[in-house]
Amino acid sequence: MDYTFQWGVALRYLPDLLQGAWVTFHLTFIGFWTGLVVAVFLAVGQLYGSVRLRRAISAYVVFFTNTPSLVTAFFIFYGLPEIGILWSPYVCVLVNLVLNAGAFLTDVIRGGVASVRVAEMEAAETLGFSMLQKIRYVIVPHVAKVLYAPISNLYIVFILGSALAAIFGVEELTGTAFNIASETFRTIEIYSLAAAIYVVMTVVASVVLALVGRLAFRVRARVL
Amino acid sequence: MAQIELRGVSARYPSGGQVLDGVSLVVDKGEVVSIIGPSGSGKSTLLRVLVGLLPPSAGEVWLDGSRLDYADRKALTAARARLAIVFQQFNLFQNMTALDNVTVTPVKIRREPKASARARGEALLRRVGLGDKLGAYPDELSGGQQQRVALARALALGPEILLLDEVTSALDPEMVNEVLDAIRDLANEGITMLIVSHEMAFVREVSDRVVMMADGAVVETGPPGQIFDAPRTERCREFVSKILRH
Repeated sequence: MDYTFQWGVALRYLPDLLQGAWVTFHLTFIGFWTGLVVAVFLAVGQLYGSVRLRRAISAYVVFFTNTPSLVTAFFIFYGLPEIGILWSPYVCVLVNLVLNAGAFLTDVIRGGVASVRVAEMEAAETLGFSMLQKIRYVIVPHVAKVLYAPISNLYIVFILGSALAAIFGVEELTGTAFNIASETFRTIEIYSLAAAIYVVMTVVASVVLALVGRLAFRVRARVL
Repeated sequence: MAQIELRGVSARYPSGGQVLDGVSLVVDKGEVVSIIGPSGSGKSTLLRVLVGLLPPSAGEVWLDGSRLDYADRKALTAARARLAIVFQQFNLFQNMTALDNVTVTPVKIRREPKASARARGEALLRRVGLGDKLGAYPDELSGGQQQRVALARALALGPEILLLDEVTSALDPEMVNEVLDAIRDLANEGITMLIVSHEMAFVREVSDRVVMMADGAVVETGPPGQIFDAPRTERCREFVSKILRH
């Protein structure tokens, strides 16, 4: 191999890459957890809503879970200006993230609610729980526990998937690495550093989520 | 005076055929009545009707002289406050500790002070031999222990009537006695009990009266001595002879 690594050049840009990582963090954090809130409402609508509402939600879920996130991002980035909506690239990517997370999580949450044990619901009924009390004391704790692990995994997937923001000029981690590599031509070093930062981010996120799950929901996830 | 009265109660599950067919039964206050019969005879369904999990398709249920209106949610809740059921599969809340399972209804539903409900919950769990398992979750307990938590949960509501639905059938043989001992104590305290059970020796010992059911109907009712030693109907004789042979 003729390639000569120049890590010194790459390390000089570490602060810029970390700045990009910070953008990746808040883009994914806001996008994913907002998507979760959206998904809770949609899952409830899908389970208990009218036929028309259920069909509308199903159409949304089918579209976003069966279309590449990049394609839906193009729709938002290039389509919305055509109808007079001008958003910054960051907002376009954020909205795309919310819509995608919302669709995937709607399916996940619906499955979780459907898995609530009939036996526990019957016990709650005979003990005199109202519907709201059943939701609060039986359904939500069950769903939180059952779905915590898949939702955590999906969050990690979304952190990595947020790299598509680079295509739209958002200077998150991949976008920043792309710009630095274009300036320095130290492509391998820069992307190696970016990859290492992604690994640190996802491992830290996994550990934090596993700890929260263990403390809050008794999810027996491996912390490390 | 009759505390529970069923008058020609029939019931059917939405998915299937008739499971209760014109059942009439009177249970007096403080009486311990056991229901026996082959699988599918409607024993458990009868208890489900009483707690309102399955409204009757015909007939009436009376509690202390008042007809139970299944369409009136408020009336049903009031009736349920006087009844407690212990299920075959325990039906504990998996996300709650043993103590929380026992105290959740008094504290969250009936708005009792937390301290007194907790003290009562602890006392009940100690009484069923689980004083050292207050903080254990259901999946950390054996079947017998879970069933005793379920029993403590039912008792925490101070029910006038206790319904027990095959509470030992899901347990390993060595677990059965610990649950039966707890029930035996309750039977001696004068609480009205309706027991569905396959434990014939236990039924004979604790019951004031035994009801034999088959095909959704009451076949014969009488004191344990009559049902087990001198049944008056051929169907009851056939059933008793089969189970006593084993």
